[in-house]
Amino acid sequence: MSPTVESADVVVIGGGPGGSTVSTLLAKRGHRVVLLEKETFPRYQIGESLLPSTVHGIGRLLGVTEELEAAQFMVKRGGSFRWGSNPVPWNFLFAVAPELSGPTSYAYQVERLKFDEILLRNAARNGVDVRENAPVTEVVADDDRVRGVRYTDEDGGQREIRATFVVDASGNRSRVHQNVRGERIYSDFFKNIALFGYFEGGKRLPAPDTGNILCAAFDEGWIWYIPLSDTLTSVGAVISREHAAKLQGDQEQALLGFIDRCAIVKDFLAGATRVTEGTYGEIRTRKDYSYTNSTFHRPGMVLVGDAACFIDPVFSTGVHLATYSGLLAARSINSVLAGDVTEDRAFAEFEGRYRREYRVFYEFLSAFYDMQSDESSYFWRARKVTNFNTTDLEAFVSLVGGVHSGEQALTQARKSSGALADAVERTGDMQTESGERMHHLFGTPVVREVMQEMNNIQVRGIRGADAKELPLLDNGLVPGPDGLSWMDPSVTAAPVLEEAK
Amino acid sequence: MTAPLSLDRLRGDVAEVLAEEPGSFADDDNLLDRGLDSIRLMSLATRWREAGSQAGYLELAQEPTIKAWWTLLAPEESK
Repeated sequence: MSPTVESADVVVIGGGPGGSTVSTLLAKRGHRVVLLEKETFPRYQIGESLLPSTVHGIGRLLGVTEELEAAQFMVKRGGSFRWGSNPVPWNFLFAVAPELSGPTSYAYQVERLKFDEILLRNAARNGVDVRENAPVTEVVADDDRVRGVRYTDEDGGQREIRATFVVDASGNRSRVHQNVRGERIYSDFFKNIALFGYFEGGKRLPAPDTGNILCAAFDEGWIWYIPLSDTLTSVGAVISREHAAKLQGDQEQALLGFIDRCAIVKDFLAGATRVTEGTYGEIRTRKDYSYTNSTFHRPGMVLVGDAACFIDPVFSTGVHLATYSGLLAARSINSVLAGDVTEDRAFAEFEGRYRREYRVFYEFLSAFYDMQSDESSYFWRARKVTNFNTTDLEAFVSLVGGVHSGEQALTQARKSSGALADAVERTGDMQTESGERMHHLFGTPVVREVMQEMNNIQVRGIRGADAKELPLLDNGLVPGPDGLSWMDPSVTAAPVLEEAK
Repeated sequence: MTAPLSLDRLRGDVAEVLAEEPGSFADDDNLLDRGLDSIRLMSLATRWREAGSQAGYLELAQEPTIKAWWTLLAPEESK
């Protein structure tokens, strides 16, 4: 039997934060968008720690600010790190200084089953045709471009949707991304795996850092400690992939063993009990390898979120990269559908900005892991910049649009690492006079680059059409007044009529 | 395109982002007391970068007064 065929402007595969973001921002421009989600929400997901640009930038563009506030997620004013040479945790706060802690200097720790559902239901309210329990079976394409998808509906029927664009937001385990015809390239230095579970009754950092994520390095890797409520904590060990075999056995013993060897987390969990029932009762593993696809776009199709790339979880970037790329994809598709910008140019901007964001976080990651120098540990030795193989480094860095020689990349990584370690030392312990001020950290070149677009997105969310953005890329485009499409800055110099309000 | 940087333009831009009347604050008033926050600071830094300034918002945050910013943005003219 041939499938039922429908048509739409855009089909989005996947209802996580990336898929919800792109589909909502397309529907806001009046496009017909169908979102296909293979599961039924709410559903469990990992990646619980958010960054301010998602909450205050993307959140406002989507119109979910009040709903997020009402959900009473744990407020995170930054990250606390037991990392590097300082035995006391130090803070990376979102506000540069206490007197400048404005409306955007916090993010949330979220239970993803709640957060993701808020975003998906909001997409539907904005006119997106959301279909759950609808796994995609095939991408329909010809030599010129991708033309649509086939999927199985909730009654088991085969259906086909033809669309001008297909957005793959289906995450890290799906194979849909292969239809852009690129390759998924893994970084040789960050092939980590994560083993994680949930605890009730763990200790909290002293206020005002109670809601911060705590990342604590130990011999075999590092542990995330995320307060999801006053009593519930998400705890995960990020370790070398060489441990994978061990994890086939008793995962609880393995996780408790890692916790036992990480002093601060051991102390925090001393009186806590592991959750053993319900959604949070399971101990899970995830391959947290850092990777990027060699291309994010092909005519008619674009990748966002984990379908495109993933970076180590230490900076809480998962949801940021997903929602950021969702915004970029919406801008590009809206521009092409409006006839304002050619598909080539719109997606060159998409890919250029997305790769830049990935690259700056990758540089930050390299510098960050390099700080935790511990020559006696296999895990940390293998992640020291000086032990990077220049050929492998070159292959990866040139792919994400950085410098083109391995030697240059190595020099740059060493420099970033030195500047970062220096800034961490000057900043000092958490909750001290200097430890509350982020001037040293924000002033390092690598952090400055990391903050640039996140700041732009936040200013856009808060100030709306009054936000002024300069091109980020050479000869690049800039967002239009509503932030949902691209404009060529060289053709916007004409005076704009100021309509009477 | 935007007007070149001048002391008057600085005053005007600051008044605009703070939603205050130009002239309602002095050049050496601490603008944090006038409701300046990081987002407003970032938007000012972007405006002035477009007009040729090299100063980022971190530099502006060091001493948030019109007077200090004019020295930072136009070191020659402000002497």
